[in-house]
Amino acid sequence: MTQGRSFTIGRRSLVQGGLAAGISGIAWRDRADAAAITLNIEVDAGQNELPFRWNAAALKTHFGFDSKLLSLPFVGQYEKLVTELTARSSVYDVLVFPPYFLGDFVALGFLRELDPYFHLLDPKLADYLPVYRDPVIKRAGKTYALMYDGDLLQLTYRTDLFGDPKEKAAFQQKYGHDLAVPTTWEEFMHVAEFFTRPPNLYGTAFYAARGFCYAWFINIFAGLGGHWFEADMKPGIDSDTGVQALTMLVDMKKFAPPNILQVDYPTLNEVFLNGSTAMVVQWDDLALKVENPAMSKVVGKGGFAPCPVRSYMPYSRVMAVSAFSKHPAEAYKLISYMQQPNVGITYVYDPECGEDPYRESYLNPAAVKNHTGQPTMSPEAAKSYVDAIRAGLEAGYPELSIPGGPRYIDILDLYVNQALAGSLSPKAALSACANEWASITEAEGKSDQQKAYSAWIDSFKQVGLKY
Amino acid sequence: MGTTVAGILSPGRPGVTRNWFGWWLMAPALVMFAANCIFPLAYAVVVSLKNYQMLIPVPARFVGIRNFLDIFSDPLFWSSLKVTASFIAGVVVLQFPAGFALALLLRGMHRFQTLAATLLLIPTIIASSVAAFQWSQLFNYQFGPLNFLLGLFGLGQPTWTASPTLALPSLLLVDFWEWTPFMMLLLLAGLHALPGDIIEAARVDGSRRWQIVWRIYLPLLRPVIGIALVLRVLMSFKTFDIIYVLTAGGPGTSTENLAYYTYIVGFRYFNLGYASALAILQLIVVAVLAKALIRLTHRPSLGGAT
Repeated sequence: MTQGRSFTIGRRSLVQGGLAAGISGIAWRDRADAAAITLNIEVDAGQNELPFRWNAAALKTHFGFDSKLLSLPFVGQYEKLVTELTARSSVYDVLVFPPYFLGDFVALGFLRELDPYFHLLDPKLADYLPVYRDPVIKRAGKTYALMYDGDLLQLTYRTDLFGDPKEKAAFQQKYGHDLAVPTTWEEFMHVAEFFTRPPNLYGTAFYAARGFCYAWFINIFAGLGGHWFEADMKPGIDSDTGVQALTMLVDMKKFAPPNILQVDYPTLNEVFLNGSTAMVVQWDDLALKVENPAMSKVVGKGGFAPCPVRSYMPYSRVMAVSAFSKHPAEAYKLISYMQQPNVGITYVYDPECGEDPYRESYLNPAAVKNHTGQPTMSPEAAKSYVDAIRAGLEAGYPELSIPGGPRYIDILDLYVNQALAGSLSPKAALSACANEWASITEAEGKSDQQKAYSAWIDSFKQVGLKY
Repeated sequence: MGTTVAGILSPGRPGVTRNWFGWWLMAPALVMFAANCIFPLAYAVVVSLKNYQMLIPVPARFVGIRNFLDIFSDPLFWSSLKVTASFIAGVVVLQFPAGFALALLLRGMHRFQTLAATLLLIPTIIASSVAAFQWSQLFNYQFGPLNFLLGLFGLGQPTWTASPTLALPSLLLVDFWEWTPFMMLLLLAGLHALPGDIIEAARVDGSRRWQIVWRIYLPLLRPVIGIALVLRVLMSFKTFDIIYVLTAGGPGTSTENLAYYTYIVGFRYFNLGYASALAILQLIVVAVLAKALIRLTHRPSLGGAT
């Protein structure tokens, strides 16, 4: 009996226990399934990883998956991604890259179209600044990416120097016009020359190292009225305007620190933040660093303005889902979450990272806060900064984003760098570059390139951007 | 028929069977060799004859030797060849005498020779990319210790890797620091292997030290010098990491050597046909260069062992 009773109880217990275990097992397995997913995020190493780190716990809470950063060096990101994705590798679920890769990546089938996933989490695209919406994240009407960083070149200058009555008088006497924030490249050169007093103060500095020196050339080129290509795909840089712009950039070296050919993004920040330069054209996140006492010796002395005539929009970053991801829905949720209005606002004004605003709702001085919600600028500086971004975007000049974009740009960078190094004259450099561009156009198919270029330009015109 | 490994291992078998057994023993190594050396090389040759561009989604076509012909009209190829030649010349001219001098110095040391050699070899042991990163700090125009020291003596502040004229010498300096000890090591081993009685006889005959170096050490070391130079020339031809980290080929193309240019064409522009042609051409140039160096340093009339 005892045994039988024991057996009966034991059997009932076993059944009950088994059911309970089964039910809890299913529940546990569901959680385990969610928890078992780890999304790999490719992003360029350094400050741009931070928003993903800050939001990793929230992503886990909201969606149940883990995220892991697979950082790539900033230089070499394109090569690494192309080799990995050509091999149809599923190592990356989420890709973070500049939109000028998008032309190639869409053509090569590296990215998933995102529109079918929008129902999972509305990306709220209506709030995007128009310049970043259709032209940047879409190709042929389909969405392939969502914004992460809206880049723009901006003029940052020393208000104490520009406002000094003695400096103003001396400038007026020398140049016959007022010392003011330059609105043309001629005025820019005057101001740069005026403040060049080595070794303690230089008029300006710019990104002259290999990698992005082309952007500082295009910034001037656009301001002088240049275009990437003519309608027949003849390179626009091989022109009087191109030569004038490159000559101006080469001449600008005279007003810059002696190691100018070594100046890259962090060095350019540094030469302004340490007070040794009167003004620089730099990506707009420099403003946040200027007003950060931990980074800057010129806190409260920073003024912000759009670049003369046009403001070039080099780089930026978008988030996309790899075509080879095994978890595309989860990857979409991750990128959509990261750019939600209430999430993006936590990082686009944080001086620790390099992200910049891309939504209309972000262009609000009161929103200029770090990821913990602390204001990062005085209200006056924040207003000046946000106004400069808005004005810059209104006169924005887009980064080339058609198939072959990275190759056109890298070749241009090489020849601009050769001109800066003095090994080629501006005319010879641009002429050689134009020949290389013609070869790329020919290899890609001239008529296809014409169509792609025309569609890309139209997308900017449709949002009201002058080209 | 000479003694074979197979013959040694299976002495009782007839000749044919013994040979097969030998082949079977060698098979894994041969398969590995074919997979790792022959196949990639053959594949590169095939790709070099096609217009294979990875980023253009159309099938690659056979174009014969067009990629090779294009190379000769490519100004970037010629400028990279010039940089490569200048770099190799700098390496040989600077590192051989310095390595030889260090080897002589160490050979003359009666105490701490091993310790000194080990310490001198540290730069060679460090990964090149790490060494290049360290040098990038040293070369820093504003905060680098090199410019600080030069400034103390009023010698100005060079812009090192930012200068089109100084960038290549800066790379040579890094390479000198990293690889001269390797040259020293090879030559020191050669010096240790020299027959002592000849040197002793020269001393007894009243030869001065420089005469011993010039008339005995150098001729007898010729095979070792040949190997050392061939190795350094081959390594210099392939120099990539310090260029990648320190200058990225710039300013302009002032430090873009053939290896770096091939990388740019292959992995930035993904023009794999042209990059493969560049690689094959380099292989031929290196092979010819190595053969010439070996012949030069192994001429029997000059006393070299063959």
